Amino acid sequence: MDNAIELSHVSKSFGKFPAVDDLSFTVPKGIVFGLLGPNGAGKTTTIRMIMNITAPDRGEISVLGKPMDRDAQNRIGYLPEERGLYRKMKVLDHLYFLAAIKEVSRETARQRIDGWLDKMELRPWLNKKVEELSKGMQQKVQFIATIVHDPDVLILDEVFSGLDPINTALVKDYLSEFRSKGKTIVFSTHVLEQAEKLCDEICLIVRSKKILQGNLQQLKREQAEGQMRVALKASQAQVAALPGVAACQAVNGAYVISLTPGTNRRDFLRKALESYDVESFSDREPELVEIYLAAVQKAGIETRDIA
Amino acid sequence: MNWKKVFAVVRREYIERIRTKAFWIATLLIPFLFLGMLFVQVAVMRRSGGERRVVVIDRTGHLFAPLAKELARQEASGGRAPRAEPVVRESTPEQPPKGRSIHWVLEQRPAGDIEKSKEELRKEVLAKKINAYLILDPEMLAKDEVEYYSTSVSEFVTQTQLARAIDHILLREKIAARGLPPEVGNELDKRIDLRAFKVTESGTAEEKGAGIVAALIFFFLMYSTFFMYGYQVMRGVIEEKSTRIVEIVIASVRPVELMLGKIIGIGLVGLTQYFAWSLVAMNLSLPAIAATFSTTDMVPKIPLSMLAFFILFFLCGYFLYASIYTAIAAPFNTDQEAQQLAMIPMAMIISAVAIYPAVMNNPSGGIAVFFSLFPFTAPLMMFLRTSLGQVPAWQIVASVLLVTGTTVGLAWFAGRIYRVGILMYGKKPTIPEILRWVRYSPGKSPAPAREPS
Repeated sequence: MDNAIELSHVSKSFGKFPAVDDLSFTVPKGIVFGLLGPNGAGKTTTIRMIMNITAPDRGEISVLGKPMDRDAQNRIGYLPEERGLYRKMKVLDHLYFLAAIKEVSRETARQRIDGWLDKMELRPWLNKKVEELSKGMQQKVQFIATIVHDPDVLILDEVFSGLDPINTALVKDYLSEFRSKGKTIVFSTHVLEQAEKLCDEICLIVRSKKILQGNLQQLKREQAEGQMRVALKASQAQVAALPGVAACQAVNGAYVISLTPGTNRRDFLRKALESYDVESFSDREPELVEIYLAAVQKAGIETRDIA
Repeated sequence: MNWKKVFAVVRREYIERIRTKAFWIATLLIPFLFLGMLFVQVAVMRRSGGERRVVVIDRTGHLFAPLAKELARQEASGGRAPRAEPVVRESTPEQPPKGRSIHWVLEQRPAGDIEKSKEELRKEVLAKKINAYLILDPEMLAKDEVEYYSTSVSEFVTQTQLARAIDHILLREKIAARGLPPEVGNELDKRIDLRAFKVTESGTAEEKGAGIVAALIFFFLMYSTFFMYGYQVMRGVIEEKSTRIVEIVIASVRPVELMLGKIIGIGLVGLTQYFAWSLVAMNLSLPAIAATFSTTDMVPKIPLSMLAFFILFFLCGYFLYASIYTAIAAPFNTDQEAQQLAMIPMAMIISAVAIYPAVMNNPSGGIAVFFSLFPFTAPLMMFLRTSLGQVPAWQIVASVLLVTGTTVGLAWFAGRIYRVGILMYGKKPTIPEILRWVRYSPGKSPAPAREPS
């Protein structure tokens, strides 16, 4: 039982509109898994199906090794995209309630909540009603509620949307801590920069279909296959004219060079050193957005449709 | 069903509601409102007494004096018709209630020019110098008619007493005209007093109206709490959606558990409120009512069986209507959107009130039996019947079973709509869309017509 979550051939449509189409992926335990895609791609529907809130039309989903059940439900912390709180409840009562429906006793909940209060600067607000709290404070309460039962798996739908920079930093810190304990995090976002910094693995969904999945580092390596970054004193045309160069692009005072298949990096560099002053060269670290755009192009989807 | 989780929901619903000011205001205020209404009624009854200045144009020329005498006699006997029995009854010595009878001030005007007199009197009535004027005309009397003019022609007590007095004196005249002894008149005037005894399996007891009053108070209490708590269930469901808490909760609790917990929690609030009311009633209202009527005759003695039936049928009806209200609330995001459909349970509850006079008239008649078995009116109607008289046990059992069965069906139906509806935001769904949600089996997609978010 090494996978936290497994989806195989899951489909779901709303009327004639396919929300998720034949989606399969696995989330191994202990990693941060990013479910990426533009708005309306089917991320929330996928997450709701994992949470057993919506049932798939076809396909199998297992959570912690079996179809979602009581036990699994109590071991998952879920923060939906559409999240709110009972406005008239006092903060502490609210946290107790959300712990109780995860079958956490009041006493255990009290201890866990206590540990978070100072970190989140929430202590003075404990006996205030939720509606008296600012939006940022309410988000902190929601976040504590998500983890009050000490889950093994966190599922966060657009967790950073609406968070201010300070809370974003807090949540990121917590996610790192959570991961270092060997727990699993699945989160969805349409903001690639966030995913890039946090994820071990990503799954890219566009228009209800998976178009890419894998380990982020490996994907980056593959994307940069046959490419390198070189800074040298030469014009773009001169660089492009060097043997073995398939394409050359000027990026931030350097050139990103794609080599023709079969060309050896050493051969290219030797040629470059013979002709020009080479200031630096390195592997190219592609940004996630590049991988994303390449995948979209490969899948034959026009980029303007998904922007 | 995980009862631990259901209990957590019940607990939240109950405690959060008990804590609200609205709950305490309703709990404390409603008994006082009831009491206030009683006082107002008594006050109105008292006001119906008082002075009546009536001008009589006696065109017969001989009826005024006997009429004045007869009205004075009625006034002395408390405005009541003479009884067949001597006025005294063993348990409750009947005195003319103070201030409740009408004090008649009659004035005779010459017949003269009738149209002119009428015009003058009209002005006097409008100027409130007199309350009314009466025309005793031989031609009209031959047709058994007397004309009465007043700004208000709905003062039944005044009119009835006048009519009765006129009847009385005319009867005397006729007796005298036939040469019969005047005592015949007294004999003919007597009215019998029908004393009602309620026969139940536990015995026979005289029913003086207080039991019926109690039954009606409970009937209307049940009626209004169906509204109050049904509406609270509806609002609770909508609030969970509009505050977007519902998806967080649904990740831990199955929709059916959340629904059940909510309904049970609010139902317990209702029972708590009844309990508080009965405490208030025992300590405050009943002595006050007794004092108001200055007699123990009218204080409702509430039999235990009535209370038991009340709780039973309250629970039956509450669960029935709460299920309907849940189904109605789930697809919508605001109270306004749900309002239109909320008419359905409202009409069901109100229909019981439309029917109740017929049931009171004949508690074991066809209409009564039908509506006390028809699930949507049964809780109110069967409760009313059990408190009015003996109801065959099979009918009570059948009624409870029918209501329970219908409730289970409706709860299933509501649960289907609920599990899809609570995740629906955006455009208000149409009724065919909502009905489509019901048909999807739980393992399958609760396929809504459009994407949920």
